[in-house]
Amino acid sequence: MRTFSVERSGRLSVAVVAALLMLSPLASAELVIIVHPGGPDSITRQQVRDIYLNRSSQMPNGQRAVAFELAAGNSMRDEFNEKITGRSDAWLKSFWSRQVLTGKGQPPTEMSSVSGMKSVVSSTLGSIGYLDSTLVDDSVKVALIPEP
Amino acid sequence: MKYSLFVFKNSTPAIFPVTLLASLLSLPVYGQDNQGQDGQQRLDQMEERLNALQKQMTESTLEKTRFNGFFSTGYTRATNDAGYDDATEESDLQTLSLFGLQGTFTLGRNTDAVLQLVSRGNEDWDTELEWGYLRHQFRTGTEVRAGKMRLPLFMESETLEIGYGQPWARPPEAVYDPVPVRSYLGGDLAHTFNFDSSSLETRAFAGHLQDDADSLGQVIDVELRNLTGVTANWTNYLWTFRGVYARAEASVGSVGGPVNLGQDEKAEFMGLGLSYDDGTWLLMSELTRIEVDGNFQDTDSAYITLGRRINEITPYITASWIESQDNYERDGVLLPGGAPLDVLDVRRQAYSLGFRWDLVSSVAMKFDWTHARGFGKTTGGLIGNQLGGGYDSTDVYTVRLDAAF
Repeated sequence: MRTFSVERSGRLSVAVVAALLMLSPLASAELVIIVHPGGPDSITRQQVRDIYLNRSSQMPNGQRAVAFELAAGNSMRDEFNEKITGRSDAWLKSFWSRQVLTGKGQPPTEMSSVSGMKSVVSSTLGSIGYLDSTLVDDSVKVALIPEP
Repeated sequence: MKYSLFVFKNSTPAIFPVTLLASLLSLPVYGQDNQGQDGQQRLDQMEERLNALQKQMTESTLEKTRFNGFFSTGYTRATNDAGYDDATEESDLQTLSLFGLQGTFTLGRNTDAVLQLVSRGNEDWDTELEWGYLRHQFRTGTEVRAGKMRLPLFMESETLEIGYGQPWARPPEAVYDPVPVRSYLGGDLAHTFNFDSSSLETRAFAGHLQDDADSLGQVIDVELRNLTGVTANWTNYLWTFRGVYARAEASVGSVGGPVNLGQDEKAEFMGLGLSYDDGTWLLMSELTRIEVDGNFQDTDSAYITLGRRINEITPYITASWIESQDNYERDGVLLPGGAPLDVLDVRRQAYSLGFRWDLVSSVAMKFDWTHARGFGKTTGGLIGNQLGGGYDSTDVYTVRLDAAF
């Protein structure tokens, strides 16, 4: 009886470790929403979406929002648009051309690299951006880990 | 003392990049000698930081003045010379070609000047000041503007000539063509009410408009005096509902000719708009009514567009309709030249099938086939029929290229 249970738990832990090993590459490349260290502790998906689709210009703590995005081709940008804005690149391009030419607003500033994103978010008051969770350090604050 | 203080202040920004540059230059030597990997990483980081700083610096200077533009060109050909959409049997590249440049000049924290210059192929590329206004935005959500601005009659008025921002090859003729003028001189006051997940923008405008216009294939002189109107636009960012009412005293006649279709006639415009856009499905519809005292036609118009985005391709269908409601007023009336006025009677349906193709970033191509018919006893509002062509339908093929930058 006892031997059986040990054997069983042993098998289980092997399975768990295997599962963790399989999952770990996925878990490490997780999208996180980052803000300036002095920014809000948390933000909802809806609030992030509103800022990135020009429906709101305020952070939850009242600061004027300054949004940044990664350049086209970055996998985190695709993940962000899939999980947060729900809009395609073509849709966003057309949308922003209309917003800009009718004086309603400017698109998020595009950063060509992830380190550029981190440094600009860490140094701009009211900033909001996104990164791969493995690249996050103390210079920025994680305000949201969007659910898939 | 004053002088040296000035010099010091002035030189600080210059010292900053120099220091950065120096630290950058010193890094590769260190990296090669010792930990190559670590050094390279630090170099990358410094480079990124420099890029970011540089970008911030250029942006802060650029924010004072911003330039944007839009460009369109296209090929049109029709199966006959009825003249729908200005298209004939002869291939045409001029009509859809235009180039626009917009400058936004920041004058203060909430004040800017906006200038839009447009050159159109069908106006011999003469550059025209399309917009030129001053705008001030109050923190309360109120905005006031004065100058030359777009007449806000339609859902797509503000983006009328920005083909890249629209799903179609061209805005539906039935609704967008009966008003042959685009911009007025005056002022407006707008207030936006923001709710939980929706917003309502209300606007009141007043001004004056005088312009040569191309209507139904003829150059006419249009003057709108004491132009006033209100618009309301509610959206929950999925559905949008719009209402507009405008009135003016209108004078319409042919330029330099004896034709006078009305002098200071009371003119009213009413419109309802609806749109839906969830990123995949697209629905747009507008219903408009124009009433002008005197001989000029009173028309009712409507269109409905349905589209669906499939990756880079957005196929769409549009059905539109226009009909004049006061044909009896022109029955048997002749112009001084002897031409019967009932050539202005209009009845027409049009069906469009087309798609938008987002080629590369900021460039889109459109392919469109439009079939117009159902003119009844009227000319269908087409120049070819007004000149006695007797066409009872027409097909127009369009390929259009749009860009925004």
